[in-house]
Amino acid sequence: MNKVVPIDIQVASNSMDAFDIESVRKDFPILKQDIYGKSLVFLDSGASAQKPQVVIDAVRECYETYYSNVHRGAYFLSQKCTDVYEQVRGQIATFINAPSENNVIITSGVTESINLVAQTWGRKFLKKGDEIIVSEVEHHANIVPWQLLQDEIGFDIKVAKIDDQGEFLLDTFKALLSPKTKLVAITDCSNVLGTMFPVKEITRLAHEVGAKVLVDGAQGIVHKGADVQDLDCDFYGFTGHKIYGPTGVGILYGKMDVLKSMPPYQGGGDMIEKVSFAGTTFQEPPYRFEAGTPPIAQVIGLGAAIKYVSDLGMENISAHEQGLLAYANELLSAIEGVQIIGQAKDKAAIISFLIEGTHPFDVAAVLDRQGVATRVGQHCAEPLMDRLGIVGTVRASFGLYNNKDDVDRLAAAIGRAKELLL
Amino acid sequence: MNSITPQYEDYADALEMIDDEDMRFEYIIDMGKKVKDEDFPEALRIDANLMHGCMSRVWLCDEVRDGKHYFSGFSDAIIVKGLAAMMAGSFSGLTTDELQELTTDHVRRLNLGALTTQRQVGMMAMLETFKKFGMSGGGTLAQLRSGSA
Ligand SMILES: Cc1ncc(COP(=O)(O)O)c(C=O)c1O
Repeated sequence: MNKVVPIDIQVASNSMDAFDIESVRKDFPILKQDIYGKSLVFLDSGASAQKPQVVIDAVRECYETYYSNVHRGAYFLSQKCTDVYEQVRGQIATFINAPSENNVIITSGVTESINLVAQTWGRKFLKKGDEIIVSEVEHHANIVPWQLLQDEIGFDIKVAKIDDQGEFLLDTFKALLSPKTKLVAITDCSNVLGTMFPVKEITRLAHEVGAKVLVDGAQGIVHKGADVQDLDCDFYGFTGHKIYGPTGVGILYGKMDVLKSMPPYQGGGDMIEKVSFAGTTFQEPPYRFEAGTPPIAQVIGLGAAIKYVSDLGMENISAHEQGLLAYANELLSAIEGVQIIGQAKDKAAIISFLIEGTHPFDVAAVLDRQGVATRVGQHCAEPLMDRLGIVGTVRASFGLYNNKDDVDRLAAAIGRAKELLL
Repeated sequence: MNSITPQYEDYADALEMIDDEDMRFEYIIDMGKKVKDEDFPEALRIDANLMHGCMSRVWLCDEVRDGKHYFSGFSDAIIVKGLAAMMAGSFSGLTTDELQELTTDHVRRLNLGALTTQRQVGMMAMLETFKKFGMSGGGTLAQLRSGSA
């Protein structure tokens, strides 16, 4: 196994100081507790991140002081609630550098964002004989919606490959592109391997053959932020609960001309312009794609989360996490028998690993008893597990609130797992 | 609650005597380590004996001798292997009728509090499988599933 050279730990720990991790940790009430008598080490932010007090407060304040339905009430509270709610749309547009808040569609999560594109854009524009490209690291959320549509329409799904380190193979991707390619649906960061995908280059190449590009930003945005205009992708989706916001809310960004070409997704209130039995007309984007009462308090909570990470600064968060990643790589690769799955050069702070001679489920169970919360299994990426020829991994995914002590505890818990299991 | 089998009583007593959750957890790991590969030969680790819906792979078998059921269990993960061995040992030697009287309380009495809910659910699923084996007079899990056992 490759020994990972600690990349400039000095720089990393300096930026960690600037970031003041100990004060950041105080923002997350859940981290203060003990699990089985040991202080909690939470390393499953990749599945869902913990919430800072400001997010919890924003949701509570909404319910306690101005909650009401949005977009319809002719009274003070509804107007206030609508204002706060709609401000978040603008805030998200700024965060991802979208041209306008009208490019920002509110969904229930990235899973719905992708299904929305499949069921509207996909259903209208994909034809039999067309091809779409996904990659072999995709989360099931970016595979199954396409397969469901494929069953109806009969287009082909091509699979872009990675190498054994988890690095995206740009050349083999290029070879898949042709005038038949209508869509590339790809993640910007593997939730299993941590690999950051070169989505800007992927988008440029896809556009050369006239294909649209959807980026699953569920993981990438949390660690590196996103600039949708710089990426030039046609769609970008992400999920609120992974970026320290509430569950039940997600975002779909779309380019305006593409959104305008798309039929509605679900039918209901809010998305219509005029309804009559003679025929119904629909609102312009983004409202056309938002039927029914939206997740109001969750959106407001997401606004607080976006403000929180923006105030900390995505570059600072990223530098802090990269410091942790380098430190964790150093410690874990020094432990005999630990195999890190995914050694790409550009990685987010996600480490999947196995311990030789043990089953990942046993390892995660021992870590849990040490108060270290990790995720184990296939991580909703079964095709990737097949590609790697493994049953699953233990995954430690770091968030902005993790510190070096957490890494030390992880390493110690791995040592304990080896003692108990081998 | 009636006593089930001597083996069951042994497990229940041993686990009751351990008053530390971590130690109980380690006891199960030791149980798993004690199961040797030859206790559940490769030839039995076939899809037909595989339990569905488990996070790790679990195989269960039932051998009927003199009207009594003798179970064995195996897994590729140590903890689950320990649990499967304990469950199989606890409820082996019972007749079909006796098996039908088992309830989830019998599993609860084993005092496996150190396990996550998911694993406790897995143990209840094993118990259900044993009872189904009982009703169908043995066979493989695949036969149970297809209703041909
Ligand atoms: C890369 C990726 N895509 C999609 C998803 C699905 O996110 P959600 O369940 O919030 O819709 C996840 C969540 O694990 C993910 O990591």
